[in-house]
Amino acid sequence: MNGLRGAALAAVLAGSLVAASACGSGFDDNGSTTTQQSAGPADLKILIASSGPAETKAVQDAAAQWATTSGSKATVTPAQDIVQQLGQALAGSTPPDVFYVDAARFADYASVGALEPYAQSMPGVEAFLPNLKQSFTYQDKLYCVPKDTSTLALQINTDLWQKAGLTDADIPTSWEQLRSAAQKIKAKGITPLAIGDTRDRVGAFLVQAGGYWVSPDGKQATADSPQNVEALTYVQGLLKDGLAKYPKAMDAGWAGEAFGKGKAAMAIEGNWIKGALEADFPNIKYTVKELPAGPKGKGTLSFTQCWGIAAKSQFKQQAVAFVQSMTSADQQLAFSKAFGVMPSRQDAQATYQQQNPDDAAFVAGAQYAQGPVNAPKMDSVLADLDTGLQGLQTADPKAVLQRFDKNAKSALGG
Amino acid sequence: MIRTLASRFLGYAILIFFALVFLYPFVIQIANSFKTEANAAANPLSPIPSPFTDDSLTRIFEGTGFPTWLGNSVLVTVVVTVGRVLFGSMAGYALSRLQFRGRKALFAGLIAAMAVPPVVLLIPKFLVLNQLGLYNSYAGLIVPLLADATGVFVMKQFFDSVPVSVEEAARIDGAGVLRTFWSVVLPMAKPALITLTILMFTGSWNEFPHTLVAVQDPSLFTLPRGLADLVSGSLGSGTQYPLKLGAALLATIPVAIIFVVFQRYFVRDASAGADKG
Amino acid sequence: MPRGIRGRGIRGNERAAGWLFVAPAVMILGLFMLLPILMALFVSFTRWNGQGSPFTGSVPFAGVDNYTRLFTDDGLTRHDFMTSIRNNAYYVFMVVPIQTVLALGLALVVNKRRGFFRTAFYFPSVTSSVAISVVFLFLFANGGAINAILAVFGVRGPQWFSDPRGLVHLIVGDPPAFLVEHSVFGLTWWDWLSGPSVAMCAIITLVVWTTSGTFMVMFLAALQNVPVQLEEAGRIDGATRWQLLRHVILPQLRPTTFLVVTLGLIGTWQVFDQIYVMSQGNPAKTTLTPAFLSYRTAFRDFDYGAGAAISFVLFLIIVLLTLLQRRLTRERD
Repeated sequence: MNGLRGAALAAVLAGSLVAASACGSGFDDNGSTTTQQSAGPADLKILIASSGPAETKAVQDAAAQWATTSGSKATVTPAQDIVQQLGQALAGSTPPDVFYVDAARFADYASVGALEPYAQSMPGVEAFLPNLKQSFTYQDKLYCVPKDTSTLALQINTDLWQKAGLTDADIPTSWEQLRSAAQKIKAKGITPLAIGDTRDRVGAFLVQAGGYWVSPDGKQATADSPQNVEALTYVQGLLKDGLAKYPKAMDAGWAGEAFGKGKAAMAIEGNWIKGALEADFPNIKYTVKELPAGPKGKGTLSFTQCWGIAAKSQFKQQAVAFVQSMTSADQQLAFSKAFGVMPSRQDAQATYQQQNPDDAAFVAGAQYAQGPVNAPKMDSVLADLDTGLQGLQTADPKAVLQRFDKNAKSALGG
Repeated sequence: MIRTLASRFLGYAILIFFALVFLYPFVIQIANSFKTEANAAANPLSPIPSPFTDDSLTRIFEGTGFPTWLGNSVLVTVVVTVGRVLFGSMAGYALSRLQFRGRKALFAGLIAAMAVPPVVLLIPKFLVLNQLGLYNSYAGLIVPLLADATGVFVMKQFFDSVPVSVEEAARIDGAGVLRTFWSVVLPMAKPALITLTILMFTGSWNEFPHTLVAVQDPSLFTLPRGLADLVSGSLGSGTQYPLKLGAALLATIPVAIIFVVFQRYFVRDASAGADKG
Repeated sequence: MPRGIRGRGIRGNERAAGWLFVAPAVMILGLFMLLPILMALFVSFTRWNGQGSPFTGSVPFAGVDNYTRLFTDDGLTRHDFMTSIRNNAYYVFMVVPIQTVLALGLALVVNKRRGFFRTAFYFPSVTSSVAISVVFLFLFANGGAINAILAVFGVRGPQWFSDPRGLVHLIVGDPPAFLVEHSVFGLTWWDWLSGPSVAMCAIITLVVWTTSGTFMVMFLAALQNVPVQLEEAGRIDGATRWQLLRHVILPQLRPTTFLVVTLGLIGTWQVFDQIYVMSQGNPAKTTLTPAFLSYRTAFRDFDYGAGAAISFVLFLIIVLLTLLQRRLTRERD
């Protein structure tokens, strides 16, 4: 009797709670097109995945300037983990108006309708590099404009290089030379190479060996190939022999930090390392060279992000104006200066090359760089691949690649 | 005689060893908060910073969101503690003393609620906060924490252990339930209330998972949330151990003070747990 | 107190007052515990991707797919889930015995010596899990305090948080072929038998260090209740200290030990804060736990259905442990 009454009570309680909650739904159940738009001065929230304090400050300054001229407010927040933060914000229907979207994550956002495809009709969209625009096209619609681009190159600490008795002639241009130079550095008790433990660094070796994780059209998993096995075996050899180390093994958050602290003589990082070194380790002397070529020639990876605008933003018009201002040729060059990325506009590229002769290696890399894997639902598969690469030192390279293929097939197929 | 001396000595040696194990990490934390980054990396064990610098403190207050987090933490902790103590003692009193329909079912529900592990509520809480439009607001940060099953349980157990006679006397004098509760019962329950207050203060000051799914705007972060973000650090910000240790230290100080001042209540509350099973 | 004294009016008053008094607590617990659980249960049967409300007709219904993906479908979801179960199981097997023995030992040495030492051992348990994780990240850094101490003894410390090797793997070395060939739930026997990874050991140390104090206090309370006559009788009989402990004190502590073990079992399946702050499941997923995996699956991969499903499986594990504890406690009494 009592139990029955208790159950009934619980049911009534639960029912009334559901009813109560239905009244106050915070979810925006309407489609993106009907989001109420507000004209006039806006209060833009901008979420960025900053490469460091240099970038944060540069974007904040530029936004502040835009705000004073436009009369709107613009608050730039650097995210610690933009994927997580954006995921919660989108599900909570409180997304920032403007945010960085990584090319590798782009398809996920576009496929669920979180992004406003503003770039189609944005004036001046022709100026952006075509291959970068391709990274932000989903089902033939260009969603957002690339904010900049960067490639991987080899950084060499010139002091440590000399200390190891090496000269300019020893700068490696092939895998064999990289190995032998590394051995000489190690003999002096210095860690030769710092390399990030993710697909975004190790993947460059695959390109140099003539392979890659996925097919050129991005629709098929192609990891388990002799070329890729060769590449991973080579990297594994470097790790096993202590010729290369992952950043964590050097108490560093990323390879640039280990390099900046002088814990490694070489690093494989992208353009962003320039700004970071300038800010955190201004005294380090280094030079930037193209990555050593593999059996199939030169290869590197390129990265790009775009300025995404939320489909649920109330201030789309103002957001587009903001993005236009952030991607003007002058502003892109200013960002380049501040944190080292390369402009994504054709009309800014030439000036960039003139202004930054030291970046020749990055610019050269852009010619033959491989873009990121860009398909929806691949994130957890790629994260699993990173896990495999973290354990590469003791793992079987072929097994790592096969596992990726298996997981990628079910994600790409489904 | 020699044997007892030796065993005494051994006993103290063990005690001192464990005291070091349990306290030295805090010494390291304090010392390294005032070291330069290079010194902290080179001599992590040394209890004396050389050179001494309060650079990390300056950076904590000027270069991070620490002041905001601190303010939010104070607000959340105060409101949540007051709420939990008040609602906990009200509900505990009702379940212990008042005769009303559904009391037994409610008590059974309470026991069930205590068994719900907080970590499985992460996604559920996020869903409900969204549905109610409370996500990413102070209300979302505070309201779900305002009542807590353990608090109700502790207070019910307390009232069960106190004789009814005083209240009955008050009632005979014609005081209503509310009046009796406010001016007779609560003053009498002072020791239990202090224990509960301390328990709830530390609990809400240290609360982390809830803030993870309730807010995402840095201006709404509490200390644990801000600290967690600081630690997972963005690319290029470096390890910055003195800064992180210093921030963690500052976040620990209020609890440490409360702990030292109200020690005996802490011990009581942990042993109260022993009777639960 | 004779019941007749209370008038009808007071009783009627009590009924209303009873509900009035419990109303705030009931509403909050109902709104933010019961209701969300029901909502998440619903979501665990859908393919909600985090866009718009999950409670509309447009969200595709998945049936039990999210659950079968965890147990029967050969894929990444099951692999991750089973890995997290394995990791957490090793974590439980390490933490529970160590913290129980340590707590008991500490209680025995501080018993009757109150004050400073008691405070020292108990203090870590009241500090914030996040703040203390920061301290341990520093202690276990490659060039950190722990490795500095190990170096004094001539041991080269591991790279704690980047070392995914399992303890059993480290001891055994190369896997015997028959363990690698067969797999259960997507992991080979060799993977199942890895032991906790080096990185997980650092987290285990942290947790043992923080929780032992709490359980020590429980043991202390129980020690207070050991009848003095029993001890004295033992001493008169010429029992050594060890015999006294073994045959007089420990049997008296059995109920508390049981409580400490079960509370430990329930608590260790919920490890989340430390994982979030210290390792985020890395290296090589060896510190991934179901609680963290469910969070990550929902909020990073936008797979809220699977994330909620993981939560419920974890919920079930913990509820079963709790019921078991309550049942055994009742039987014993």
